[in-house]
Amino acid sequence: MKTVFARLQSWEGFLLCALILIILVNSSLSPQFMTVSNQVNLFQLSIEKIIVALAMTFIIINAEIDLSVGSMMGLSACAFGWMFQQGMPSGAAILICLIIGAMGGALNGWFIAKVGLPSLVVTLATLIGYRGLARVLVEDRGINDFPEWFDALGQKGLLGPIPFANIAFVVLFIILYIVLQRTGFGRKTYVIGTNREMADFAGIDTARHKLILFTGAGLIAAFAGLLYAARVGAVRGDVALGFELDIITIVLLGGVSIFGGTGSLVGTLLAVMIVLNLRNGMALLNITGHIQTGVIGLLLIGSVVAPRLNLGKLLRRQTGPNMTKGKT
Amino acid sequence: MKDQPVLQLENISKHFGMTIALADMSITLHPGEVHAIVGENGAGKSTMIKVMTGIYQPSAGTILIGGKPQVISGPQAARDAGIAAIYQEPMVFPDLDVTENIFISDTSAGLLMRPAAQRRRAIELIERIGINLDPDRIASGLTLAEQQVVEIARALSQDVRILIMDEPTASLSAHEAAQLRKIAKTLAAQGVAVVYISHRLEEIFEIADRVTVIRDGAHISTKPIASVTADSMISEMVGREVGNYFAKAPGTVTDEVILQVQNLSLAGVFKDITFDLHKGEILCMAGLVGARRTDVALALFGVTPTATGEVTYKGKPARFRSPREAIDAGVAYVSEDRRKLGLAMPMSIRSNISLVTLDAFLSRFGLLNREKETAVAHSYRERLNIRTQDVDSEVGMLSGGNQQKVMLAKWLNMEPDLLIFDEPTRGIDIGAKAEVHDLIREFAAAGGAVLVISSDLPEVLALGDRILVMREGQQMGILDTSEATQERVMILATGQTALREAV
Repeated sequence: MKTVFARLQSWEGFLLCALILIILVNSSLSPQFMTVSNQVNLFQLSIEKIIVALAMTFIIINAEIDLSVGSMMGLSACAFGWMFQQGMPSGAAILICLIIGAMGGALNGWFIAKVGLPSLVVTLATLIGYRGLARVLVEDRGINDFPEWFDALGQKGLLGPIPFANIAFVVLFIILYIVLQRTGFGRKTYVIGTNREMADFAGIDTARHKLILFTGAGLIAAFAGLLYAARVGAVRGDVALGFELDIITIVLLGGVSIFGGTGSLVGTLLAVMIVLNLRNGMALLNITGHIQTGVIGLLLIGSVVAPRLNLGKLLRRQTGPNMTKGKT
Repeated sequence: MKDQPVLQLENISKHFGMTIALADMSITLHPGEVHAIVGENGAGKSTMIKVMTGIYQPSAGTILIGGKPQVISGPQAARDAGIAAIYQEPMVFPDLDVTENIFISDTSAGLLMRPAAQRRRAIELIERIGINLDPDRIASGLTLAEQQVVEIARALSQDVRILIMDEPTASLSAHEAAQLRKIAKTLAAQGVAVVYISHRLEEIFEIADRVTVIRDGAHISTKPIASVTADSMISEMVGREVGNYFAKAPGTVTDEVILQVQNLSLAGVFKDITFDLHKGEILCMAGLVGARRTDVALALFGVTPTATGEVTYKGKPARFRSPREAIDAGVAYVSEDRRKLGLAMPMSIRSNISLVTLDAFLSRFGLLNREKETAVAHSYRERLNIRTQDVDSEVGMLSGGNQQKVMLAKWLNMEPDLLIFDEPTRGIDIGAKAEVHDLIREFAAAGGAVLVISSDLPEVLALGDRILVMREGQQMGILDTSEATQERVMILATGQTALREAV
């Protein structure tokens, strides 16, 4: 019992309670809500952002930020469209896009880790730069007519009704969860985010670690950009414009501290589900998109303020001695 | 000196939990005097300054300003009472010019600033200090000494009656220091009471009218400068009984040299450090604040690879270029700054202990072996007597002494041959202190070599097989434990060259 109470007092526990509440309310609003197709559909409409949020979780735990992921998604999608238009086989085009993503991420990482510039500035610059490249390649006219298998990958179910992107997300989530929680690399991600100078003194190559992280983030963003192209079946210069802010919002809502060192992928996943289900529920109530966005904004402010109010302490004080046992 | 005292502390005490920082401290300042305060590191000088400048509230006792009891409720109240302090590291705003810096907190003119009038006043103030300084220069281009002049002018602009100078010359060149001492004299001649804190005894003989010795938070003596000698001052500074807590254990030094350092220098920081360190030996580096001992340690640990000189480690030339290289060679550096360089405070005891040797905890597929981590953490918990049940609890929740032990465990786990331990017992209670000392001795007895940096003289004498004394980046000498006394170490550490001949 102890651990159950302890877990419920954590941020993840709080998010889980909120999620269950939202799901209960939504279910009572509409019988269609809890169907597989609705839930799959919910995920699929934001799947690219959700995938990149996994990478962003690592970056923010590491006490950095990557603003360029949205532009990298756009660049990858546009590069694919352009190469396809030039007659390149789509398999090769996909490979090149992934390489572009890794190199773009490595460029961010090199400036941040080796040169020592703040990630906010570096990735703001590449946000502009990568978007510029995407627009140069495709301009605003748009490219479509991708091969049928490519479109099908994004639009049709692969495993029953579940499309490729959702499966890719699950696989990626499991791999990255293990990396973050169970490997030396994951441990170092937390340690460096907590105190980089201390990590240097403990002999950890923090520059190399950050280089790897940003390279990985670029790669995953490029992959997500391709998924977007496949799902929509067309690309334009403004693909994934502004996605980085939604992605960062989800990660912060999931309990990852903007100062680094704390948070988890489970928190990010719960935040994703809360945002999606909340939006869905509001849509069921015919609340307009703008107000929905406003509610998500309020939620984010609440998530940043709540830990400072020391909610756990308040809870414990009000619920008496048997709750106190939960925390050591 | 027959004038009304401008500031009196009467029986001031200051406690921090169980620690007594000031005990029954009394001191009287007269206008127009330079009043020097001397004492060892940790004697209570900084606490006293913080009480005078309103940063700390005394636990007991009275403060009289101009003969009237007064509470200095905060830094602003201290400024209103005419009390200002300048420190070794001046606080200036690098992008503002001299005039703007002087009047940074000046609100007398109301909401609107009057640059021309301020500039005129700045020139007056700088003249009053007796220095040439262009009021339009940008602060980032000023030398440290010039920045201090800016601070002094800022204090003067607020009609200062008591100017506290805390180690003002510690980072200055000889010429700049002389100039600053002249300023202190000039201001005293204008009626300001100058409190002058310095480790450089020769400075005190040059400018002080009276000198107060404090030790262990208590007032020892206040005498006119003419009636004290360097000798009498030093013996009053260290006067406590030695060896109350710490018995010197027999050493375990062998003939095998682990580390040989020759003429190790880092431009502008330290120069020509030369020593041998043997297997089984504990070498202590003693010195006052600013002696640059930590910088030497960082150079050995590969943090400042630009240092020059010859370092031989286990018979091979060893100039480590990064902490990783040093660690791989078997060198551990336990920092004096637990919070900044020592521990990941929000993380668990377990994951802190495994941090340096993370690769040793990896099982197949590169996964961390948590069972092994937990087992190792528990073994250190028992061996070092870390008082906690749960090795998964946050390090930040532990007491200072237990944090110190976790930090030591983290480095012992790499099984180092050379352990550099910077201020091993700073800020921990006496019981934990004795335990840490035993652990260091155990490590040496098991064949390790230890370099301890400590500002705690009794600790240095109790631990060290030999004692290397530094002063302002210079190696002043190496004393064998049989010939070392607190007085001898202090004489070297304060640079009493005349006396050194006699030692």
